Amino acid sequence: MQQMPLQIGSQMVDLCAALLLLTCFAIVAQRRLTACVDLFALQSVFLAATAGLVAFLTGIHHIYVAAALIVVIKVIVIPRILKQVIERLNVSRELVMNVNIPTGLLICGILVILSCFITQPIIPIGFLLTRDSLTIALAIVLIGFFTMIARKKAVTQVIGFLVMENGLFLGATAAAYGMPLIVELGVFFDVLVGALIIGIYTHRLQDAFDSVDTSKLTVLKE
Amino acid sequence: MTTLLLALLGCYAAGIFLPLCLPGRPRIQNVIANGLAGAAGLLGVILSLMGLLSAQPLLLSVPSTLPFLTFAIQIDPLAAFFVLTISLAGLAVSIFALGYLVEYSGRRSMGALGALYNGFLLSMTLVVIADDGFFFLVVWELMSLVSYFLVVTEHEKAEVRYAGFFYLIMMHVGTAFIILTFLIFFQEAGSFSFEAFRHPEQPLPEGMRTFAFLLALIGFGTKAGIVPLHVWLPYAHPAAPSHISALMSGVMIKTAIYALIRVYFDFLGGQFPWWWGFVILVVGAVSALLGVLYALMEHDLKSLLAYHSVENIGIILLGIGAGMIFQAFGLKDFAALGLLAGLYHTINHAMFKALLFLGAGALLSVTHTRNMEEYGGLLRRMPWTGFFFLIGAVSIAALPPTNGFVSEWLVFQTLFLSFHLPALFLKLMLPIAAAMLALTGVLALACFAKAFGISFLAQPRSGHARHAEEVSPAMRIGMAALAGVCVVLGLAPMVVVPWLDRITEPLIGASIQGKVLALDGWALAPVNVEFSSLSTPALALMLAGLAALGLVLAWLFGGRITARYYKTWGCGLNLTPRMEYTAIGFVQPIKRVFSTLYRPTVKLETEFIEESRYFAKRRWFEFHIEPVFQRYLYDPVVAFFSTMADRLRFIQSGSLHLYLTYIFVTLVLLLLIAM
Repeated sequence: MQQMPLQIGSQMVDLCAALLLLTCFAIVAQRRLTACVDLFALQSVFLAATAGLVAFLTGIHHIYVAAALIVVIKVIVIPRILKQVIERLNVSRELVMNVNIPTGLLICGILVILSCFITQPIIPIGFLLTRDSLTIALAIVLIGFFTMIARKKAVTQVIGFLVMENGLFLGATAAAYGMPLIVELGVFFDVLVGALIIGIYTHRLQDAFDSVDTSKLTVLKE
Repeated sequence: MTTLLLALLGCYAAGIFLPLCLPGRPRIQNVIANGLAGAAGLLGVILSLMGLLSAQPLLLSVPSTLPFLTFAIQIDPLAAFFVLTISLAGLAVSIFALGYLVEYSGRRSMGALGALYNGFLLSMTLVVIADDGFFFLVVWELMSLVSYFLVVTEHEKAEVRYAGFFYLIMMHVGTAFIILTFLIFFQEAGSFSFEAFRHPEQPLPEGMRTFAFLLALIGFGTKAGIVPLHVWLPYAHPAAPSHISALMSGVMIKTAIYALIRVYFDFLGGQFPWWWGFVILVVGAVSALLGVLYALMEHDLKSLLAYHSVENIGIILLGIGAGMIFQAFGLKDFAALGLLAGLYHTINHAMFKALLFLGAGALLSVTHTRNMEEYGGLLRRMPWTGFFFLIGAVSIAALPPTNGFVSEWLVFQTLFLSFHLPALFLKLMLPIAAAMLALTGVLALACFAKAFGISFLAQPRSGHARHAEEVSPAMRIGMAALAGVCVVLGLAPMVVVPWLDRITEPLIGASIQGKVLALDGWALAPVNVEFSSLSTPALALMLAGLAALGLVLAWLFGGRITARYYKTWGCGLNLTPRMEYTAIGFVQPIKRVFSTLYRPTVKLETEFIEESRYFAKRRWFEFHIEPVFQRYLYDPVVAFFSTMADRLRFIQSGSLHLYLTYIFVTLVLLLLIAM
């Protein structure tokens, strides 16, 4: 009686996690900035769904709070801030990248395999029903990081950073059913403030260099 | 007592927040901040006296949500004594600051200054009553940071910024060593609570104990300002506003003495080989002598006082070091005497050094310069300040009947008792340390003859000094309070010593109260009366009697007193300030004697009139002493790190993406290695 829903639940969690990974690839492949932001919002929806599922299956209530916070902050507030920035700066597309899209996708594939390889020995140790999504969490962190390296516009780098954070949250949920609520709240606050600061920083960048291309920062070196 | 403690902490907390809540009203902010600090000081005095008297230490513990951190407080006699020192100084300095800060009003944010001032006093108080290693480190670091912000109050001056930066770096290096010390204890005790440090599950191995001893000496020694870690003092103390310098030099560096006693006598249980005490003794002797030698060459009044702090920390360590040597040989009475002498000098130095810094602040506030060569003739213009400064100078020069004399006498007696020691080497070394202390005392006297004479006597050397006026009543009251404490501590050692005995007794395990007081408590004796004894009230009476006798004799046998007012005879010339002894001139003999240490460079240039080389038109005289420690110890270290940093510069391309790639590659490699 208890066994069946748990197994189904576990698979649901894995499904959600897989969707998260899929949106990652979509972000890597997307040139239009507004679409990138939308994809990030979509990814956050999936993340909130994962968290909600885990909360439902385990009966740990504070994960519901975390899920609600994801919806408010990552699905509504941050995408809105980012869209405002994009609109004001009038950058709609990213034409030049450090790594072109096909190569980028290939590298992301390699990263997923790598994270599979790394987490393989760890997963059997775990006993939580979410343990399989650890692989995907690590992959999302690495891909988010890679996005920050591959893209030149500050706005996409913010998205890369936020994707990494999503990966970390998924990882925490997968490995330990989430962090204590106080830590979670702190992290959300940090992310929000981080997004605000980077928003302002992008403006400054635009003012100083007439561009939001972070490669131009090299001139700051003596 | 708990209520009192909470009221004390509440006063400081209110002193931090209230001034910030009233922006735009500097006068009210000033009164609130210093008034609350003064009230807290008063509460602290009462609390600490109760702490010294009570048989049971006050314990208070509040758990926190952070791992390892517990807000644990313990007021045992040792902590109470240092709370007393901090509170007494804080009380007097707060009264002084009421008047002193008027000058800063409008130029500086009174709210920020008041809040930081209260925060500084609060963090120092917490440092000495903390009963948990982690909590101690937090408040210790807080104390360093708050004092850094106070040092850079006048941050528009480049030299102040440099001083602050230097101070911050030295404090961080010191804290690194302290953290290591505590980690060693933590490793054995399994907890950060001081109680666990005292009684670890298994005793520390011998090597680890020695390691902890050295780490603590370097870490706390940086704060205390022992040679060669003293280099920050002559920068940081003059840069801060004077009432802050008074607290930093008088009280803050004493927290390091507290911590050293706590670690050596409490955590390590007073069980150590004799060479530990010998190391402390050598450090103390060297600090005392070099401190005063460098002080002599300073003509910036506040730098001079800062170097004297190095000297006095040395004297305190001489007492403690001798106590440790006696302790190692099981001579508990003498050990208690040494520790007691060190503690006595601790509170004495806190009082007279705070007094002298306040005096320097008073001079600074009317003349707007710290250079002694621009003072002169101030005694006539500022009689009160001059009088209080003189009391401070007499105390620091260890002249009877003031407090400095009593504690230095006790240190001397401890060192002379070395003939009881079984080892010949130490029998020889302790008297040598006493000889160095004697030399130090003489040089300190010379230094304050210079400081007082050049600043207060003769004619004004500059327009600043000519137009000086006596400072405001609040500032005078602040100085008077400290001067009064100096005299009382000097005249009533028989009251002070039993109190100090309550501190040393649990640390050493022997009470010497009955053995130190002779003649029904009217005289002090170093454990056995036959050896020597001292009674300062009698000494004071004798001095007063001698002065009276002189007056009486003059009255009886002298001629009729006729007053005739005329200029001092100057060989028919008009006397001008340019003819006066300068501060540089005053110390030339000492400079010659110790020229191997100072390595002075003198530059004399003369511009002659065109017609003849027999007539000089103008002369320049420049004189510098070599900053030996900075040049041969600190500069090479700094140079090494700069070269290393230059070599690693190529990886800093300035490209954000490259930096991200560095992190990414490291992460992936680490993950793969972790497999």
